[in-house]
Amino acid sequence: MASQNKTPTKTKNISSRKSKVTSLPLLLEIGTEEIPTKFLPQALQDLADLGTQLFRECRLNYDQIRTVGTSRRLALLVEGVQSRQSSLTQEVVGPPKAAGFDASGAPTKAAQGFAKSQGVLVEQLTIKETPKGLYLAVERREKGESAKKVLMASLPGLLAKLNFPKAMRWNASQIKFARPIRWLVALLGVHTIKMEFAGLTSDEMTQGHRFCQIKGKKKGQPVRLTNAASYVATMKKHGVLVDPNERWVIIEQQMQDLTKSAKGKVDPVHRAELIEEAVYGVEYPHAIIGKFSNEFLALPKPVLISSMKEHQGFLSVLGKDGELLPKFIAVTNTPWGNTKLMTKGNERVLAARLKDAQHFFQEDKKQTLHDRVPALDGVIFHHKLGTMRQKVERVQDLAEWMAGQLGRDDLKSACQRAGLLSKADLTTGMVGEFPNLQGVMGEEYARHDGEPEEICKAIGEHYLPRFPDDQLPVSLPGNLVACADRCDSIVSFFAAGMAPSGSEDPLGLRRAAYGVVRIITENSLELNIVASVKKALDILDGQGRSVRGKTQNPLDVVAFILDRLRFYGRNTMGLPEDVMEAVTRVRPEHTADVGDLLLRMRALQGILSHQDFETLMLGFKRAHRIVEKEAWRQTAVIPEHFQHESEKRLSRVLTKAQQEVTDCVTVKDYAGALQNLLPFKAPIDDFFAAVLVNDSDPHIRENRLSLLTAIDHLFLTIADFSCIQSVGVDVARG
Amino acid sequence: MTFQEIILSLHQFWKSQDCILTQPYDTEKGAGTFNPSTFLRAIGPEPWRAAYIEPCRRPTDGRYGENPNRLQHYFQYQVVLKPAPADSQDLYLQSLAHLGLDSYQHDIQFLQDDWESPTLGAWGLGWEVRLDGMEITQFTYFQEVGSLEMNPVTVELTYGLERIAMYLQGVDTVYDLQWTESVLYGELYHESEVQWSIYNFEAADVTLLQTSFDRFEQEGLQLLEHPRGLVLPAYDYCMKCSHFFNILDARGAISVAQRTGYIGRVRNLARKCAQAYYEQREHMGFPLLARKAPTSGQKLRKKL
Repeated sequence: MASQNKTPTKTKNISSRKSKVTSLPLLLEIGTEEIPTKFLPQALQDLADLGTQLFRECRLNYDQIRTVGTSRRLALLVEGVQSRQSSLTQEVVGPPKAAGFDASGAPTKAAQGFAKSQGVLVEQLTIKETPKGLYLAVERREKGESAKKVLMASLPGLLAKLNFPKAMRWNASQIKFARPIRWLVALLGVHTIKMEFAGLTSDEMTQGHRFCQIKGKKKGQPVRLTNAASYVATMKKHGVLVDPNERWVIIEQQMQDLTKSAKGKVDPVHRAELIEEAVYGVEYPHAIIGKFSNEFLALPKPVLISSMKEHQGFLSVLGKDGELLPKFIAVTNTPWGNTKLMTKGNERVLAARLKDAQHFFQEDKKQTLHDRVPALDGVIFHHKLGTMRQKVERVQDLAEWMAGQLGRDDLKSACQRAGLLSKADLTTGMVGEFPNLQGVMGEEYARHDGEPEEICKAIGEHYLPRFPDDQLPVSLPGNLVACADRCDSIVSFFAAGMAPSGSEDPLGLRRAAYGVVRIITENSLELNIVASVKKALDILDGQGRSVRGKTQNPLDVVAFILDRLRFYGRNTMGLPEDVMEAVTRVRPEHTADVGDLLLRMRALQGILSHQDFETLMLGFKRAHRIVEKEAWRQTAVIPEHFQHESEKRLSRVLTKAQQEVTDCVTVKDYAGALQNLLPFKAPIDDFFAAVLVNDSDPHIRENRLSLLTAIDHLFLTIADFSCIQSVGVDVARG
Repeated sequence: MTFQEIILSLHQFWKSQDCILTQPYDTEKGAGTFNPSTFLRAIGPEPWRAAYIEPCRRPTDGRYGENPNRLQHYFQYQVVLKPAPADSQDLYLQSLAHLGLDSYQHDIQFLQDDWESPTLGAWGLGWEVRLDGMEITQFTYFQEVGSLEMNPVTVELTYGLERIAMYLQGVDTVYDLQWTESVLYGELYHESEVQWSIYNFEAADVTLLQTSFDRFEQEGLQLLEHPRGLVLPAYDYCMKCSHFFNILDARGAISVAQRTGYIGRVRNLARKCAQAYYEQREHMGFPLLARKAPTSGQKLRKKL
């Protein structure tokens, strides 16, 4: 095969050499000390983006661009880089022709100066017609530079643009990077591109895997790269799999083999997250399986998983029945090491950690959660808002009040109790060691203390949802304590003047509000958010903790929560912005019920597509504008003052609709209510076609204004329709 | 390899890298970083290479001698190199090889670690070095010390001696470590762990500690005002404040609200010492700048 292909390939090479533009692969490798794994995916993306931008700006054509890397190197690989920039034709316009030549047609100083500045002879100047008249011009053809030269000049700029969430200085160059850069390789085909950055000069020398050992021979480092095209293959020979995807596949395969022989499978919960961490933490992955003593299986499962995951990055292994096996998988950075030694080492570290956890578990159980509550005096919630003990007292009262609001007085004491114990686990050794187990340990210890099951559940559930798509509390006390805890946090921080600004949310208040919205809507709690916010503020005031200014408005907090409601509507239901705006803009007492708002939004979205709706909106908006402009408040009409049949008809339709709409709204049938507005379409149009509101007789005028105002008010009981964007109608009108 | 041989081996290695084998500092401290050999020497442009063993006191980590790995008094092996050499990581790995650790047999990983000491107004970036999953060293490029930006940057290597020794000797509790062939770590330090745990958690006189903290702080601030510029004694008082705060903390005498206040006071003193130290060295013309440039470590090693 190879010999058959030889001849044509050769010919092709010759012909491309003739054309003088050949294409070559480019390699830029930034050799570093270990970059934090969590920075790497973004850094590789940024490098690819910056590379693409650079090639565009440098007018260098190429076939394909990609990046690969490990914690010790970031590499930009560009295939088919044209050896020369594409040339550029540019027209430079100089002085006006009139100024360039004197009456005899001889060139003036202006023309000579212009030609000189452009490096051409006066004879080479051309005349260009512009809208402003005739001008001297010169056409410059910038010949493309060699790619090598262009890259040499521009690559350092690319390196300087790579940013990291946290960067450091390490040498006299004062350059900042995630970790020190120790070498630079830049190759175009077989040619080294010399450039300088961060006190280094690029060459063709890279470093292999630190501990690569093949056939007993320590390959180690350094390594000479001879051709950009063979980068990936050469690095592999020296123990580095530069492509993250390749490492990912290998880890998956190795895990499968290891778990198969252990008759289990990798716990799916943190699987992808832990594999990604390993993929970017190593240069050549080698997964190993280790075990721990059965005695530790008596620890709560989350404790075992956290011990493995948080400190060690181990993956846990489940048996066929879904129960944890006393095993773990660790991904090492060397297939050449002594697996037995490495496994034993990792097992010992885990055993020491589990021993610690066991110690905490036993010690923690010596004191009940109830007895731990006073210690919350020593835990600061926030320095402007007092201690966790004070927060807990607020949550207790608010949760109890909420139970009352739902007509569940029977749950009041459960809410009090669950609220009281909700944060007590913060003082335990286990949560001190594993903060992510807050709530989980509380539930566990409450059960051990013999608390009723609904209290245990509520303690564990009140942290839900921990992230936007997380599960919600199931028990009602759990839901109420969860809502109370979040409402209290939002209200407290607002009162202390720490409302989130911009896109930052350091206190997690947006997340908290989103949680409230999800709990209320998805679990159908009929909680009035305006009343809840006011109650939360009262409780805060009652503690004397409030730093609320006199002008602080509870409705600011409500608006903040409604903003999250809109976010929720957009994300989960695809509700358009104008529909949500129309519904939330109506009077405050209508915004109290979050679930009700969503029902209105969905009904409104449903009717948007009705053929009569848009034209109805046209009429409504006209009426609305008039009412607004006149600031008319009265709605009582006097039938004797009607002059025209169209007024009488509109009034009849109104009377009928008022009754029907009210009936529908009472039972939250908003789709029905909206249907009952549709009959207004023709009467409103006729009304505006037949009469002028601004009649010279004030009685007639006022009567018409009142009629329109009554209609306006009726519409507003459902939504503020003036927010609805009538794109279709506008287009038709145009 | 016995515990003392490990220390000797590290001494030998870092001596060959042109490090001054300075000694532990005779004031209580929570980490080798507090030793003036690190904290003060990291400041300013003067080159500095030092290695030393440092006994550290962490009152809250006491476990009455009952926990196999947790101690209120333990040993760090500390190396500081300024300016940070380009082959810091290699030097470190060579030092492990010098201890007889075959890196090719094990899994050695450099895991992200952002280091910060609020009391010293210091932070840096680097790693915790893990040997088969066990943290054995903190590796940090200082970015700020005493709130001063580092230029040049100092790299600090802190070896957890007990952990490394446990690994090398294959024992599961620190008390079983062989200090020499015939004497165990436990024989030397177990009783001390018990007594100091009782002192730190139960017996320490809170009022004495609190008053002392206040007076040490005053003394430190006052010494900085002295016409002769008594920066070095002032810094001793900064270390004393830090240590007394640690005992108060272990004693449970500091509420969460007070905590930030205490830390802020130590930091303030540390910052003032750092600033004054810099000015003093500058005034002296940064004497170590004139020191004959060290031959590179590699060459020196060959001479050995």
